[in-house]
Amino acid sequence: MQQLNPSEISEVIKKRIESLDVTSQAQNEGTVVSVSDGIVRIHGLADAMYGEMIEFEGGVFGLAMNLERDSVGAVVLGDYKGLAEGQTAKCTGRILEVPTGNALLGRVVDALGNPIDGKGPIETSTSAPVERVAPGVIARQGVDQPLPTGYKAVDSMVPVGRGQRELIIGDRQTGKTAMAIDAIINQKNTGVKCIYVAVGQKQSSIANVVRKLEEHGALENTIIVAAGAADPAAMQFLAPYGGCAMGEYFLDNGEDALIVYDDLTKQAWAYRQISLLLKRPPGREAYPGDVFYLHSRLLERACRVNADYVKQVSGVEGKTGSLTALPIIETQGGDVSAFVPTNVISITDGQIFLETNLFNSGIRPAMNAGISVSRVGGAAQTKIIKKLGGGIRLALAQYRELAAFAQFASDLDEATRKQLEHGKAVTELMKQGQYAPMSTADMGLSIYAATEGFLEDVEVAKIQAFEAALLSYANSEYAELMAKINVKGDYNDEIAAGLKECIEKFKSTQTW
Amino acid sequence: MAELTTLARPYAKAVFAEASEKSALDAWSDDLATLSAFAADADLAKVLVHPSLTSEKQAQALIDVCGDKLNEAAKNLVAILAENKRLALLPEIAALYEELKAQLQNTVDVVVTSAFELSDAQADKLATALKAKLQCDVRVTSEIDESLIGGAIIRAGDLVIDGTVTGKLSKLAEAMKS
Repeated sequence: MQQLNPSEISEVIKKRIESLDVTSQAQNEGTVVSVSDGIVRIHGLADAMYGEMIEFEGGVFGLAMNLERDSVGAVVLGDYKGLAEGQTAKCTGRILEVPTGNALLGRVVDALGNPIDGKGPIETSTSAPVERVAPGVIARQGVDQPLPTGYKAVDSMVPVGRGQRELIIGDRQTGKTAMAIDAIINQKNTGVKCIYVAVGQKQSSIANVVRKLEEHGALENTIIVAAGAADPAAMQFLAPYGGCAMGEYFLDNGEDALIVYDDLTKQAWAYRQISLLLKRPPGREAYPGDVFYLHSRLLERACRVNADYVKQVSGVEGKTGSLTALPIIETQGGDVSAFVPTNVISITDGQIFLETNLFNSGIRPAMNAGISVSRVGGAAQTKIIKKLGGGIRLALAQYRELAAFAQFASDLDEATRKQLEHGKAVTELMKQGQYAPMSTADMGLSIYAATEGFLEDVEVAKIQAFEAALLSYANSEYAELMAKINVKGDYNDEIAAGLKECIEKFKSTQTW
Repeated sequence: MAELTTLARPYAKAVFAEASEKSALDAWSDDLATLSAFAADADLAKVLVHPSLTSEKQAQALIDVCGDKLNEAAKNLVAILAENKRLALLPEIAALYEELKAQLQNTVDVVVTSAFELSDAQADKLATALKAKLQCDVRVTSEIDESLIGGAIIRAGDLVIDGTVTGKLSKLAEAMKS
C-alpha cells in the first residue's frame, strides 16, 4: 500500500483549494523553438524582462538570460527532458527568489532553497531575490571586528575581519576546503551564522562536509547550499547568489554571517557553459566577457554595514551587520596568473595561498606566509595577536631568505644559526591539525612562547608535543588568565607577566 | 523561426515603406499573400532551393506560376529575394507586412478559442472589452475547441488571456503538486 503524505490530509487540501487564485490574467506567451543542454530558445515573449522567471509546461521554470529581437534565450532550472519544441512558455513577472531566515540553519538546500536533506519542509515566510545590488558607500562601515578562523598561521599573519572577503587559493589537495570548514567550526559559539555553498562538487564530498559539521556541533548554525557536479549548469551558476541572499538576511538583521563559496572556479565553468550555449561570444580562455562582473557583483555583496542601514532595512536598532566571504579558487599547477584566479585576487581583500610543496612536506595548513596577505584584517585583530603576531611574520620571512642562502654555506656564524633555528621552530609551531581550532588565549600563549625565545631549548621535533602540553597545563593551572584573554583579547604588562610566569612554571615541570 | 523573422524584417519594412508611399497597401497585401502561398507549396519550394537553377530561373519560375496576378514591383521583389537566396522567407515577410499594416491602421488580430460557439451578444461584448483593454480596433476570429470544457482563451499576438476550465484545472493541479 502506498503511504499518505502529511500534506494529503483533507483539511490541508481544502485550504489549498480555497486559497488558490483562479482569476484569469493577461499573460505574455511564446513558443519554444529549440531545447539544447538546458538552454531554451523561445519565439515571442516580447515583454520578457532580463532575469525574469519563465514558466514552461509541466511546471518547470526557466530564467530569461538573453533578450534578442525576436527570441528569448533562457536557462532551465531543473529537469528539461520534458520540454519539447512547440510548447508554450509564459512570462511570470517574477524574479528568482530563495527562502531566507533562521529556519534554514542546520539544513541542506539546493540552489533554489528547496530542502534536500529529507528533514521535511522549511517553515519560513521570508524570501529574497537571488540577485541584489550590494550596499552602497553610505551604508558601509570599516572592518574592525575579528573573525577568528582558529588557525594560528591565519589569525596571526593574515587575519580576517567581519565583512572582509579573503580568498583561499591553491591547487587541488592542498587543504582549501579543510581550512574553510575549520573556520566554520570555529564560529559555533561566537553567534556568527555560516553558509557553505558547494558548487560542482562530488555529492560524497558534500555529504562528508555535512557529517563533519554535525560531528563538531557546527551544523546548527550553518546553512549548506549544494549544487553538485550532477546538477544542471544553471544551478551551479546560481548557487552562490542564492547562498549570498540567505546570508544577507543575517546582515540586514544586524547579525554577523560567514559565507564560504567552494569553489568559484567551478561556478565560472558553469557560467562559461551557459554563455557558450547561449551563443555569447567567447573571450579569454573561452570565458564570456562578463566573467569578472560575475564574481565582482557576488563578492561586493559581502561587507560590513552600519547601524543606520540595519535600522532602515529591518528596524533592528543599534546593531551593525556583516557578511564575511571566504571564496575558494582552485588553480591548475599553481598557476595564479590564469584568468579567473587573477580576477578574484583583484576583487578580494587579500588571499591565503596554499601550496602543494608545503602540504607534502608536512606543513599543514600549507600556507605560504610570504605571498599570503590580508589587506584590511590588521585593523580587526585582537590586541594580543596583533602585538605578538608581527614577530612571527618577520621570523618566517628572515628564515626563508636565510634558508635558501644557508644551503650553500657550510659554517655559519652564531647569529645566523640562531635565526635559522628560530625560523625552524616557528614553522614547526605554525603546524596545526584539522578540526582543532584554537582559542585566542591558546594562540596568544603559543606565539608568546615562540617570540620570547622559550622554544630555544626545545628540540624541533618536540615542539608540537611541547605546545600541546603547555596549553593543557595553562588551561588547567592558569584558567583565569586564559579566560581573561579570551574575553577581551587585551595585551598589557600584566598579561605578559602572567604568560611568562605560566611558561616558566610549565618548563620547570619538564613534562613534554 | 526567430532567426527567420529577423532576416525577413528588413524586406517587410522596405515593402511596407514602398506600399505606403504609393498608397497601395491592399494591393501589396494580395501580392504577398499569393507569393507566400505559392512559396509555401512543397513542390515549388523544392524548385526554389534547387542548387542547379540560377537565381534568375528560380525567380522566373515563381513569377510564371503566379501568372498575371503580380504587378511589376512585386516581380522586382521576387528577383531581389532570388538574388539574395531568400525566397524561402516569403511567408515571414507576408506575416510581418500584415503586422506593420495592422499597426498603422491601429488594429489587432484576436483569436478567441472557446469551448462552445459564442452568441452574437457575447462576441460583441468581448470585442468591446478587448477594444478597451488593447486600445485599438480588434478583428476577432473565433475558433471552437471542445477540449477546453468551458470558458474561452483569447490570443492577441504574444498576449494570452486564459479563462478556460482546463486552464484553471491545470493551475489547481500545479498548486496541489507544489
